[in-house]
Amino acid sequence: MRFIFRRLLRIVARFVLTLVVITVLLYGSVMLTPAETRATLYMPKNTSPRMTEEKWQELLEKMIERYELNAPFHVQYLHWLGRLVQGNWGYSPTLQEDVFSVIIRRTPATAELTLLAFLIFIPLGLLSGVVAASKKNRAPDHAFRLAAFVATSLPPMIFAILLMVIFYIDLYWFAPGRLGTALQPLVSSAEFKQYTGFLTIDGLLNHVPQVSVDALRHLAMPALTLAIAQWSILGRLTRALVIEESQQEYVAAARARGLPERKVMWNHALRNALPPLITNSMLSAATMLTGIFVVEILFNIPGVSSIAVKSMAYVPDAPAALGFAIYSVVVVLLLMSVLDLIQVWADPRLRWSS
Amino acid sequence: MRARSRFFKRGQNYLGIFLVASFILVALAAPLLSPNDPENPGPVKIVGNTRKLVPQPPSDLAPLGTLPNQASVFHALVWGTRSALGFGILVTLCAALIGTLIGAVGAYFGGWLDHFLMWLSDTFLTFPVIAAIVVIQQLVTIFLHNLGIYFDYWGVPMVWQNGSISAVTPPIAAMIDRLQSIDPVLIAFILFSWMYYARVMNASMRRVKQMDYVLAARASGVPARRIIFRYMLPNAITPVIVLASRDIGAIVVLQTTFSFIGIGKTSPWSMVLTLGKDWMFAPKGLTTYWWVFFPVTLALVLFGIAWNLVGDSLNEALNPRSPAG
Repeated sequence: MRFIFRRLLRIVARFVLTLVVITVLLYGSVMLTPAETRATLYMPKNTSPRMTEEKWQELLEKMIERYELNAPFHVQYLHWLGRLVQGNWGYSPTLQEDVFSVIIRRTPATAELTLLAFLIFIPLGLLSGVVAASKKNRAPDHAFRLAAFVATSLPPMIFAILLMVIFYIDLYWFAPGRLGTALQPLVSSAEFKQYTGFLTIDGLLNHVPQVSVDALRHLAMPALTLAIAQWSILGRLTRALVIEESQQEYVAAARARGLPERKVMWNHALRNALPPLITNSMLSAATMLTGIFVVEILFNIPGVSSIAVKSMAYVPDAPAALGFAIYSVVVVLLLMSVLDLIQVWADPRLRWSS
Repeated sequence: MRARSRFFKRGQNYLGIFLVASFILVALAAPLLSPNDPENPGPVKIVGNTRKLVPQPPSDLAPLGTLPNQASVFHALVWGTRSALGFGILVTLCAALIGTLIGAVGAYFGGWLDHFLMWLSDTFLTFPVIAAIVVIQQLVTIFLHNLGIYFDYWGVPMVWQNGSISAVTPPIAAMIDRLQSIDPVLIAFILFSWMYYARVMNASMRRVKQMDYVLAARASGVPARRIIFRYMLPNAITPVIVLASRDIGAIVVLQTTFSFIGIGKTSPWSMVLTLGKDWMFAPKGLTTYWWVFFPVTLALVLFGIAWNLVGDSLNEALNPRSPAG
């Protein structure tokens, strides 16, 4: 018990410390800009999108004065950090809305896609990796390696376009976006209660299963695109680690005891390959998030990435850019923390040392 | 020399080397394979009648057909190889250099310095590249905006001064050009891929540090710089080389993807896909207008596979105990 507590403490400490460093760097980069730019980070939550130029300037001046935007770095940083913690992430001129509420509203779409992709690629990746490893240098292994090579090198947009041509234009099974236009009014109406924000689950909870079906139709292509890319990474890593483990003596011992090969591979080799697998996944959590955003943009899903796309135009919008960056880091850190907790279960050695 | 004989043992290793060599050859011989239009050099070479708005099939002028704006696909493919290879190698070299240095210094000196450097690289690992690109692009934009420069509907820079709009003066236009030629993707890729090299190098250097010949060198008073660069690096660098060769392919694929969705500068390969994508959606477009996407896709996939194969082969040859991943 004490051990779990200490581990949790370490995870929380890493979370907070990393976030502090990242925010210091981000605010440091904004310090290169004049005070008027920084003032946009402090706009009140209910800023009106329609405002005359004079009123806007007046507001900026007021913000500069109230938050001491000409003061030294640490004073400003602490002000800003305090507001971040309270959920005031600034008003974005391009989104014409408060950044934090936009992010919160769009998170479920991204999370739904990600979870569905997880459900596809994690079992597939582990399965194909273990099978390829146990048939090393034979036909299944070669087939797997070729497929994984192509999947890693195939740019997601090509796969996305092929899927859309076949399943959207020719067969009309699936569609891009998040929901068909016919169901849009129903979902945005007050009768449709938002329980989880996931349309697939909310549809069932609201007793309108056609919403769930339609949401799945729209999720299928992006989830597949995302899963293919992640599958190749996970599968190759699993294969390499399981091959490494299967050269260990305990595997030979398990075989000598007469255990069936399937058991040797899954319960012994893969079980011991899990800790390094989890460590590697932690290291590539940020890369995976980038992949998720790319797929979202390709399929026009109204998720968090649309904030990034809007702020890519040559229009100054520091709150949106910073908000997006901080949000991304928080998500990566959350992923890492979850993996860290799984690691405690996967690697019993951790429970005695440290 | 056993590494070399191991390397040439398997056919697969030849395939990777052959593919990489052909990409390098195409990149070097680009002016011979597809000469530039002298009046309008660059990856876009207009051939034929621009009033035709439909991609034209392969012909003598354009061996792989044309895009809807009558630019030759072959030309973009050949010159795109050059920019893709350049981008991949530049990013990988910079990232590997930074990472190697940080990893090596940390491992050699150990103690708080090592802790700090590895903690720093872990911190960088939590930052997704796409967020870095967004922030860098915003900083450039804000900088321009504060000079009173903004971009009109067609992307033409204009100056807002004392309540009136005017075109920018040549020196400012040149500065804007220079600022916009900074590819946020390039910078973000370098800034956020050195950590992997640092980690690998750090682990490898720690292993080498325990070896007797390094202890002997330290005991006999060889300066630290010499020990790091002449004694330890050559023995610790192999995993970095493996990682770097695998990375080149992945980086180019990612850059093309970003470029396709409108992030960062347009690369010739992604330009072909961007212009051609509408024709893939045409009825029977995949078979009728195959040249707008197939050559570039094949090039990209082969590029990725080639560098991955080279990485695997190097791994097997230099590091025989670990299995190819």
